[in-house]
Amino acid sequence: MDPTFETRWSQFSAKKQAYLAYARPMEQKVGSFLTYRPDVEAPQAGALQGLPFAVKDNIAVKNFPLTCGSRMLETLVSPYTATAVARLQAAGAVVIGKTNLDEFGMGSSTDLSALGKTNNPWDFSRVAGGSSGGSAAAAAAGLVSFALGTDTGGSVRQPASFCGVYGLKPTYGTVSRYGMTAYASSLEVMGIASKSLALTEKVYGVMKGRDPYDQTSLDPAPGVARAVKTIAVLDGLTDLEPAVQRAYEAALDHLKALGYRLLPVHLGTLDYAVPAYYTIATAEASANLARFNGIRYGLRPEYAENPEDLIRKSRTAGFGDEVKIRIMLGTYVLRSGFQDQYYTKAQKVRTAIRNDLQKVFDQADLLMTPTFPTRAFVHGDRSMTPYQQKLADKFTVTANLAGIPALSFPAGLEEGLPVGMQFMAPAFEEGRLFEAAAKFATRVAAPDCPGTSLDWSK
Amino acid sequence: MYQTFVGLEIHIHLNTATKVFCGCKAHFGDEPNTNVCPVCMGYPGVLPVLNQHALELAYTVSLALGCQLSHRTLFDRKNYFYPDMPKNYQITQFHEPVGQNGSIEFALADGSTKKVRIHDVHLEEDAGKMIHAGDMTLVDYNRAGYSLLEVVTEPDLASGEETEAFLQAFQRVVRYLGVSDGNMEEGSMKCDTNVSINKAGAGLGTKVEIKNLNSSRFVKKAIEHEQKRQAAFLEAGNKVSQETRLWNENRDVTETMRTKEGGLDYRYFPEPDLPPFVPDASFLKRIQDAQVELPLARKQRLVREFGLSREQAEFVTDARFTADFFEQAVRASAASGGSAMANWLMGDVQKELNHFNLTLEACPLTAGRLASLQSLLDAGRIHTKIAKQLLVSIFEEDKDPETLLQEKGLESIATEQQLAPIVESVFSAHPNVVAAVKAGDARQKGFLVGQVMKATGGRAAPDLVNALLAKFLA
Amino acid sequence: MDTKELETTALLAQIELGKGDLERLGEAVSQMLDNFRKMNELDTEGLEATTHALVTDNRVRPDSPVPSDLADALVERSPELEDRFIVIPNVL
Repeated sequence: MDPTFETRWSQFSAKKQAYLAYARPMEQKVGSFLTYRPDVEAPQAGALQGLPFAVKDNIAVKNFPLTCGSRMLETLVSPYTATAVARLQAAGAVVIGKTNLDEFGMGSSTDLSALGKTNNPWDFSRVAGGSSGGSAAAAAAGLVSFALGTDTGGSVRQPASFCGVYGLKPTYGTVSRYGMTAYASSLEVMGIASKSLALTEKVYGVMKGRDPYDQTSLDPAPGVARAVKTIAVLDGLTDLEPAVQRAYEAALDHLKALGYRLLPVHLGTLDYAVPAYYTIATAEASANLARFNGIRYGLRPEYAENPEDLIRKSRTAGFGDEVKIRIMLGTYVLRSGFQDQYYTKAQKVRTAIRNDLQKVFDQADLLMTPTFPTRAFVHGDRSMTPYQQKLADKFTVTANLAGIPALSFPAGLEEGLPVGMQFMAPAFEEGRLFEAAAKFATRVAAPDCPGTSLDWSK
Repeated sequence: MYQTFVGLEIHIHLNTATKVFCGCKAHFGDEPNTNVCPVCMGYPGVLPVLNQHALELAYTVSLALGCQLSHRTLFDRKNYFYPDMPKNYQITQFHEPVGQNGSIEFALADGSTKKVRIHDVHLEEDAGKMIHAGDMTLVDYNRAGYSLLEVVTEPDLASGEETEAFLQAFQRVVRYLGVSDGNMEEGSMKCDTNVSINKAGAGLGTKVEIKNLNSSRFVKKAIEHEQKRQAAFLEAGNKVSQETRLWNENRDVTETMRTKEGGLDYRYFPEPDLPPFVPDASFLKRIQDAQVELPLARKQRLVREFGLSREQAEFVTDARFTADFFEQAVRASAASGGSAMANWLMGDVQKELNHFNLTLEACPLTAGRLASLQSLLDAGRIHTKIAKQLLVSIFEEDKDPETLLQEKGLESIATEQQLAPIVESVFSAHPNVVAAVKAGDARQKGFLVGQVMKATGGRAAPDLVNALLAKFLA
Repeated sequence: MDTKELETTALLAQIELGKGDLERLGEAVSQMLDNFRKMNELDTEGLEATTHALVTDNRVRPDSPVPSDLADALVERSPELEDRFIVIPNVL
């Protein structure tokens, strides 16, 4: 597929009608977009010239809605564009739509969106994953060349693995957060989903770098380049869906066959990653979502007796259950009397996890885990409650807690559904992720979703 | 019987061109909601960006107030809902403020000085403004995000009078440093006051916070009101409730604030969007260079160096510009007229400034010109009355005293040689009056003096006139 | 989490909880808190809290105005306006 992938997608403008004839029916079935505007002219210059891309609907693009999948912002049209998106536009890429997501980025299925339903292109009865489900689905369904998402605890990687595409979570700070609706400020970063690893790397290269509008943004500072030789793997890995277990073991074999040395490691702190993550994330979220109160923009009740009444009615009607749960959790763990035992404790656990990972990277170049313990589950699956979904985040949240980069890559199909594996690298070492994933792809090619194609570009 | 403890939380608007966390103009008086951007309007996806100048001013004040400066200062989120808050959290400093454990000395009415300990100095952002009109409240976010410096004192003040004096002194300090206008009436300075009373020697009482005070006079009144109100509780054997009260300036009382349900748990936590700031050597040098001699120290020095009275020194040092003007003028004038110079400023100069509705900063009188004027006096080339005339002319015509002297021909007639003929001619013109004076009618002497003055256009040196009259009448 | 705590927390978060909400959401919140308490098993003695993800140097911005041509666009997005003021019911 690479290197022709990019060339074919650059035909987007020239082959517009053929694209639309393919894409519209496909989108009807998948439902990736909350706003779909494919009939736009693509610029003809720049490193990404003419490439159409999708942007998760919690990332600001001027004159496009910025709903965050929520009733609260259903009518909000963004007056400005996120820095990272602007860089892509300046390089010639064109936004053709805003994708569906779990409300405010909170979820692992995209079924918690208040404004739309997204189906996994591999099996419409299943979820696309979340919270960037729309983006991953759009990429997998061949509707865009790449899509932007936000990864707070795995929200780009998990849907990427469910949809059989690459999902990159860059090093914290290397992509500006200006324009990304904040959920958990110290954990999240904009990510990329695409069928093409090469394009993912290229897009990251255009987006990355310090931004004066984001004082936590950094220029990548990779260390001395060194080839990936040793890959750490978790010992005693249990609790995986059998299909994922099989794919995982097969992946290990492939890596061995490629000449990598696999080093079993014990990450004792992994068991505490989920509680630490959710404590910190909900705490930050409770503050980040406080701005939504119907006063300056957003959902405002028809009638309110006084401002407090207005604020409460706006938030009560505007937010879904999961958002309310997380806001209340976050408010609670910061409360006087509880902060030390929850929030401060979680920050210390976070330090412990970072230290643990540091030790791993002292001995290995990468850490590899499954992206998620299961493949895409069915819409409304009772065995995968929101609580269960959170517990399953343990492989992905680890990277967010440490701020390190991680890449979910397709590792084959099991009973017709994609399984993703994940590489993690030390901060700024995205290069290692791309290198190892590219090597892996020589043995296990990224799969094409049945029913999807790039034929329109011929 | 009762001891009073007053602690203050003072907020001042810093003189920055832009807001503390975004590049919007920090400018007063514009159309509502025009100096706004997605950041200070709390839109989704925005991030605060720290204003370097605001941080420097915060450090400057901290150093001036003798605080320990933070090696690694942090911002925090203070979480609460209010319609004038764009994010419904305020970015402030809680864990690691810019300065801690300082003190400021100020003068009391009787001339003695007192030290008040400073708990901390920290940087934060202001909220928007609300105007209440009928059944609506109108919200303007122009002010949201203004740089605000909060200075928290320990409860070291002991009375309303003391507190009023303290606030005036504090105002003077921030104006000397050039960091803020420090004007309570205009809103560039606000003061929340914490008052408690207790039996003498029993330590701090239950503190009551008072808000809505927009002048130091009201602060004094509110404290005095609270002293009485709290005493009444204690007398009756009851406890004072810890609460926040509002000052009602129409009724001169404090009133219970409508209590906010749910209490005030601010849930402070470190601001993840702003990295810690570690001041380096060059930054600290800039802070050091920005220090100035503070008003109290300057006042004390002027008394020592120039022999000024306390009253004179207070007047002269009330504003830094005046003090600078004073010292410049004194050094530029030939004789050491410290006291004379102060009197000029307190008297005639102030009179002209009031008359022409000007400030010393922006008037035709410069330190150099005042010095020249004083030098002319010292040299005897003019006398006091002419000097005052010249002062007015400086204001009216914006010229140097020397120039005006020439143009108006106002040089004193100060030698016997020049004046004797004039006295003689006055005597010749009024022989009856001369005879009357010689016969003992002293009152008529004034008439003769007046005639000499008239004949000389006021230029005759009064002492010399008196001396010559005495001589010729003898 | 008991009902009283939940109500206090919801109030701080300016969210109204109806009868049904209290049970349903309360249960979800309690379940997560139980999960959070697992952290007590890990000894974090002597560890600093991580408050920022990755920090390299001081970040400040010069005190120069950045013209914002977005004021009108922002104001337009307010649900209720009066002469450029954003309108809400009277606070007092």
